Amino acid sequence: MALSQERFGKYNPEKPTENRITDIGPRHFWDFFPPVIQKNYGKWLYHDILEPGIMVHVAENGDKVFTVRCGGARFMTAENIREICDIADKYCDGYVRFTTRNNIEFMVTSYEKVEALKNDLLSRKYITGSYKYPIGGTGAGVTNIVHTQGYIHCHTPATDASSMVKAIMDELMDYFTGMTLPAHVRISVACCLNMCGAVHCSDIALLGIHRKPPIVDDNIDSICEIPLAIAACPVGALSPGKTEDGRKTIKVKEERCMFCGNCYTMCPALPIADKFGDGVAVLAGGKISNRISEPKFSKVIVPWLPNNFPRFPEVVDTVKKIIEVYAADARKYERIGDWAERIGWEKFFEKCDLPFTEHLIDDYRLAYDTYRTSTQFKYTRAAWEVSRAAGGIKD
Amino acid sequence: MMEEIKQAILEFAETSKKSKFYFKDLEKAVQAKIPDAKMRDIKKAATELVNEEKLIYFSTGSTTMYGLKGRGITEDQ
Amino acid sequence: MDFKAKRPQKEIKYEELRIYTDEELHNYSEEELKDFKIKHDIPMLEELEKGPWPSFVTDAKREALRRKKLPKERMMIDPDVVDDLLGQLELSFVDGETHWKHGGIVGVFGYGGGVIGRYSDVPEKYPSVAHFHTLRVNQPASKFYRTDYLRALADLWEFRGSGIFNMHGSTGDIILLGTTTEQLEPLFYDLTHELDQDLGGSGSNLRTPSCCIGKARCEFACIDTQDLCYELTTHYQDELHRPAFPYKFKIKIDGCANGCVASIARSDMSLIGTWRDEIRIDQEAVRAYINGEIEPNGGAHSGRDWGKFDIQKEVIDLCPTGCMTMEDGKLVINDQECNRCMHCINVMPRALRPGVDSGVSILFGAKAPILEGAQLAVLTVPFMKAEPPYDNIKELLEKVWDWWIEEGKNRERLGELIQRKGLPRFLEVIGVPAAPQMVKMPRTNPYIFWKEEDVPGGWKRDIKDYRLRHKR
Repeated sequence: MALSQERFGKYNPEKPTENRITDIGPRHFWDFFPPVIQKNYGKWLYHDILEPGIMVHVAENGDKVFTVRCGGARFMTAENIREICDIADKYCDGYVRFTTRNNIEFMVTSYEKVEALKNDLLSRKYITGSYKYPIGGTGAGVTNIVHTQGYIHCHTPATDASSMVKAIMDELMDYFTGMTLPAHVRISVACCLNMCGAVHCSDIALLGIHRKPPIVDDNIDSICEIPLAIAACPVGALSPGKTEDGRKTIKVKEERCMFCGNCYTMCPALPIADKFGDGVAVLAGGKISNRISEPKFSKVIVPWLPNNFPRFPEVVDTVKKIIEVYAADARKYERIGDWAERIGWEKFFEKCDLPFTEHLIDDYRLAYDTYRTSTQFKYTRAAWEVSRAAGGIKD
Repeated sequence: MMEEIKQAILEFAETSKKSKFYFKDLEKAVQAKIPDAKMRDIKKAATELVNEEKLIYFSTGSTTMYGLKGRGITEDQ
Repeated sequence: MDFKAKRPQKEIKYEELRIYTDEELHNYSEEELKDFKIKHDIPMLEELEKGPWPSFVTDAKREALRRKKLPKERMMIDPDVVDDLLGQLELSFVDGETHWKHGGIVGVFGYGGGVIGRYSDVPEKYPSVAHFHTLRVNQPASKFYRTDYLRALADLWEFRGSGIFNMHGSTGDIILLGTTTEQLEPLFYDLTHELDQDLGGSGSNLRTPSCCIGKARCEFACIDTQDLCYELTTHYQDELHRPAFPYKFKIKIDGCANGCVASIARSDMSLIGTWRDEIRIDQEAVRAYINGEIEPNGGAHSGRDWGKFDIQKEVIDLCPTGCMTMEDGKLVINDQECNRCMHCINVMPRALRPGVDSGVSILFGAKAPILEGAQLAVLTVPFMKAEPPYDNIKELLEKVWDWWIEEGKNRERLGELIQRKGLPRFLEVIGVPAAPQMVKMPRTNPYIFWKEEDVPGGWKRDIKDYRLRHKR
């Protein structure tokens, strides 16, 4: 059989249910496993990272599979996929894998093949000079950034993702192609609080946020279901109202708004995005792994930075600064969050030279749990400023 | 039973003030008329009505709702 | 070991399926690409062509050029879609606001998910992306592919859509970015008939389950993550395609507590591989690590000189439970005290391996912040065997769904319902006793919601009887 080449293909618009196939699910995984993976399934003994981005996994019977991991933009053209297929056909018998973090993995069965594959991958550059398939993303470094859709294809973003990721990774390239950090650093980008990428447990998370309440479209009554929109507000800031000409509308209690954007998600007549309102919050210190310490949330450490397109210099500088301070100060195996907790968040802010503002103190639900209820603290400049303001010291 | 449930769904969809319904709205409306109607049967009935092109699915992006075909705001803006 | 699809699957041969000839596939030269300008001015995007990291802009441009040079009848949507997509993105940078709006379209006929309606709000400037819907294609578990499949999908999507993908979306699907309403059904027809491949989930459905690489290439995996993922995905196709849930429901499967698919943070049902016997120790390999013959942590820290490996400092002292000691040159683990955090195994994979009596820990209720704040998943079932056909896992899942559908408010995630009703109620629903493993600590307030049957004599009391003993 062949893929159809007519306007409607083999689909008959007059009879939509004719020969219809549904509910078949995904392709089965097994046929997509390379032979060495099939043969040694469940029999892998150990792995070694031979150099950044290149791993060997060794099986009980001595079989080896060498993996070359490349960073990719998750936004990818058919042309790019075909090029990946060309490489996979040439070196990997027609098999290739993608990782959860948008990396591309090429697997071969002998070390001799690794060198040729590696050289080929690194020789492939775009006409403007950027690597098509940079090798790295293993061990104690920065691997690829997981991210959401942004302005490319989403209706609710407060920032853009692909551009921010490109800008950050350009600056962090040495950490991607090296393994010089105390532990791995997972960076994630989400364009709004819906967090399709669920970035809330990342070492560093960049999150698009709004800062202006929604505005109400004149024709809201013909655009969306008003009760649904009102129910969407978690803080009761929306209530039913009437326009001057007697039509149904929504009133916004602006002082109650927490800028979550849930109203706009439910009702396109309540736009919340705004060039000057929107921007990027930086969060840090989260993790997923249960290793040593429990999984934990990332904490907001910078409440807002501007959407400075296309390269987000303020965001990039902040990320770089945190990683550099962390690299110099943390102990081996210590994740950013573990490090911050060991030295104390007050020291984290001092060492990273980040201002601490009231925006960083929780005042949403269960906020009290985040307040310090002990006398165990360390003195930093911020502490002296409080003492001074309270009239406790004069120097 | 299935026909009764389908009828109850359609009656609700035609008379409700709203034009888009969560599955839960349908479930409650059906169970008000047919107290022993089970959730899974109500879902089957709704699916059949979609397949018969009487109901449509409608999405807000993250949430899917049901609507009566031709009533209220539909897929073609 | 061999796993089979539930039904015979079509073999995918690109040579039989292909749409484009070799000539059509190589229809532009490097020189042309160098001189190529898309039809809009995109100075900010072009700035993103510089720098070492792969540039999605340069990648998009080659797709734009390729489409321009293909005869128009060789694509079913406008050749200019990539130009207009980039043009609109540039305008979004200028305006600091997105230019996509959302429509109600959700799927192909009979499906309540898998397609996300997308419309440009500046169609007069970018007419080719006026209607530009997303499709989610259910990825194979853990994302291994054969190139025949990928090439066929690339042809299909270039012919009937934009030729732009996300490999992959956050939930795990292959994302196809942008086509017209008209092409949805023809595309779905070929997807199912020729590629033997279904759409993924969106909206108030079961979202496409996903899993880590598991035993396919990882020595830490305690369970068959792909098999479990495939089984749940295929078993619950109706839940995936036809919405009856209050909101989205995500299932993710990690092979071990390292958590490479982040199930604990982003899935309503998180299944994490673990074991209940003992960590396997190879004492000779332990000595090799101590003697510096093997790089610790699989060489993950080799980019910096951290000094000689010190088992006391790097493993024993970092163990969160302090359950390890060196005795007479041998590493001793008190497995009764171990919480299976994976650190020692990660550091010395050649010496230590997870136990062999394996299964899953099951956690429920993780979600992103909308609306009640972010939540991590709650440990609910400490250990469950995970073997085909996984009926025990399905039974548990269905109990959870029944309760959530019954009690959940519209747009309330499972974790929010557990928060609202309390973990004790959730335990009652799924029929398991309370255990200290489920909490970080017992409650600190004494406001226990006693039930009438908890108290001898119930709650009905006679005030007259009381007054016999106590004067007013």
